[in-house]
Amino acid sequence: MQSINLGNAEQFKQSFREEAHEILVDLEAALLELNDTPADVELVGRVFRGLHTIKGSGSMFGFEQLAAFTHNLETAFDAVRNGRLAVDPPLVDLTLGALDQMRALLDEDEAASDAGARSMILARLVELTGNKAASEQPAQPSAPAAVPDPPPADGAVHLWKIRFQPGPEFLLNGANPLLLIRELADLGQLHVEASMDQVAPLKEIDPERCYVRWEMTLASAVSHDAIRDVFIFVEDQCELEIELLEPESTAAAQPKEPTHEADAVARALEEPRSSGGGRRAYDKPDNASSLRVPAARLDQFVDLIGELVTVQARLSQVAARLDDPEVSAVSEEVERLSTALRETSMTIRMLPIRGTFEKFRRLVHDLARGLGKDVDLTIEGAETELDKTVIDQLGDPLMHLIRNSMDHGIETAEQRRARGKCATARIHLAARHSGASVQISVSDDGRGIDAAAVKAKAVERGLIAADAQLSEAETFALIFEPGFSTAKTVTDVSGRGVGMDVVRQRVESLRGTIEVKSRPGEGTTVSLRLPLTLAIIDGLLVRVADGLFVLPLASTLECIELTGAEADEANGRRMVNVRGEIVPYIRLREYFRITSPRPAIEQIMVVETDEGRYGFAVDEVLGDCQTVIKSLGRFYRHVQTVSGATILGDGTVALILDPQRMVQEVLRAGQSHMRG
Amino acid sequence: MPIEAEQDEQLNRICLEGAIDITAAAELKAALVEAIDRRIPLHLSLQHVTCLDATAMQLLWAAERAARSAGIAVEVESKLPAELVDKLAAVGFSGFPLS
Repeated sequence: MQSINLGNAEQFKQSFREEAHEILVDLEAALLELNDTPADVELVGRVFRGLHTIKGSGSMFGFEQLAAFTHNLETAFDAVRNGRLAVDPPLVDLTLGALDQMRALLDEDEAASDAGARSMILARLVELTGNKAASEQPAQPSAPAAVPDPPPADGAVHLWKIRFQPGPEFLLNGANPLLLIRELADLGQLHVEASMDQVAPLKEIDPERCYVRWEMTLASAVSHDAIRDVFIFVEDQCELEIELLEPESTAAAQPKEPTHEADAVARALEEPRSSGGGRRAYDKPDNASSLRVPAARLDQFVDLIGELVTVQARLSQVAARLDDPEVSAVSEEVERLSTALRETSMTIRMLPIRGTFEKFRRLVHDLARGLGKDVDLTIEGAETELDKTVIDQLGDPLMHLIRNSMDHGIETAEQRRARGKCATARIHLAARHSGASVQISVSDDGRGIDAAAVKAKAVERGLIAADAQLSEAETFALIFEPGFSTAKTVTDVSGRGVGMDVVRQRVESLRGTIEVKSRPGEGTTVSLRLPLTLAIIDGLLVRVADGLFVLPLASTLECIELTGAEADEANGRRMVNVRGEIVPYIRLREYFRITSPRPAIEQIMVVETDEGRYGFAVDEVLGDCQTVIKSLGRFYRHVQTVSGATILGDGTVALILDPQRMVQEVLRAGQSHMRG
Repeated sequence: MPIEAEQDEQLNRICLEGAIDITAAAELKAALVEAIDRRIPLHLSLQHVTCLDATAMQLLWAAERAARSAGIAVEVESKLPAELVDKLAAVGFSGFPLS
């Protein structure tokens, strides 16, 4: 039996924190959408329910200050729901600011928590809603309503019989029956009796189980569903019966104060059910089918699988050497299981990029306000999944790119109108899978990059010679050089030349590539290509002389033979005819300056890259292998064409090649050579 | 400590203080079982309790019932604060240890 102690209480709090952070992200997205479509009742309902959940659960888990602060916002959005308050940019901005404070209260972050800011927010709420009771004090059941009384749902007060019996795990899950009963008492006149008839004898009592059950009679004008909503978090952990008795006359049982407020909350929670707007999408996670696991534990799990894969490779080699059918059978079985385990663990680590993308709605909203620009953010492919480690490290580079677009790329509304463009600019974030990579792009429809200005600045900074002939891609790549900035003014947002070089560094540290395309007056697109995972990949082990290398299997198309005669026919050009298609190739022996003579027949691995199909000539293809990627360390971090290294079963080390980068490097060298 | 048992040959007292909730439930049960096993009158000091949850209420109730059936007196020598009694009554509790 699991025991509850203070450590568990902290675990519950942490669990609530994580859930509340997710709700805050959703609230932020809903508010920003609401800014564009203020009449959308579903969005209003979504905001209301999010606030209601944070308030309710916050109070339950001891975040009294957060609950009290959120209560005032919830009240304001209830007024919006009831048509007594209109959604306008000031309300959205105020609520966004309030979300920041809620985050700080949630994290108990004293540095970010600003009592002054919260007081100002509450004062503004008073102005907006006419609420005289906005307060940071924990909400009292008898506190006066923040908004004028709405009329009862149908004007009639009903008598309800409620039987409530917490289940065995009720208390262990952090629920508190007494708080629920107090919440129920807010709905009307409540007569309640706690029954002890099921309490076990003292010595047999499980001290962490609730044996008490409650029988209650509620006189209230609220509906059946509104009563049930009090128990929304615990419905699956208790026995609950709600039965309608004869309706009472309104005079016989007047609902007590502040029934109107609780009633309004209940009604507000009721309505979205018919709209299919995802009611309780986050209120009530399906505990039976999902589980929260600390990220560090997952990382440890993947590390261990990495070790297992390495040991399994060793076992395979030993089995091959011993040539014993029994050992081979075991080895094959272990290989099958470790492959399945690896694939499953990789799937667990994959997360949709939605969370990262959605965070930028707020950034764009705030920056647009600050810069006096009108900008729409559109998102495509938010469901695209990426390894958690990649996603974790992607936030900063994307933020820099968006800031840069907002500040330098996008013109003011006046400038846009003068150029015949729509006054509202657009930033488009997109993600899509492409083989073993994910392509993420940040596009804007701004002024584009002035290639001549970039070149002039690069010459001024001594990055290139004054007479340098650069392709468009090479010119745009200069913006990622340290200290490079063409901005005429330095702003708070960007323009110090710090950031774009960091973007490139971060993307490259993720084994990704970055590319810029821009059209003057039409806009700029920055594309990042990132590997799906950083941990383990399927590779193809190849040999050149004594050197072993791994090529990522996902980008490998086929293997063909290259005889000495065929190589000679090409007159020294590294080209091979693959069923009528001329495919250029890179000979690894030459690339790595291996001096031993090449074999009579080489193997060419044909690989798909952004620059088209390319071949990699090797001596021998040894076979596929699960490859645990190990970093080469800081000393070799400038080596772009090698993704890392892996330890093979016999303990030897093989370099993992990055075909995309190798091709790009060879092409660049070729162009420089041609220009030279 | 929220739960303190004072015991000698003539004395059998449990003093509760602060919030007595699920985090203290196992300790409270052990203290009550041990006290009743001593088979001498049990004195409860409750005046410094600030909160009692369902686990505490059911343990105190079961202890009183166990003591009564064993013929042991349970005396509340200092009562729960009136404000707490009101709160507990509002959620349906009555009888021991409220009165």
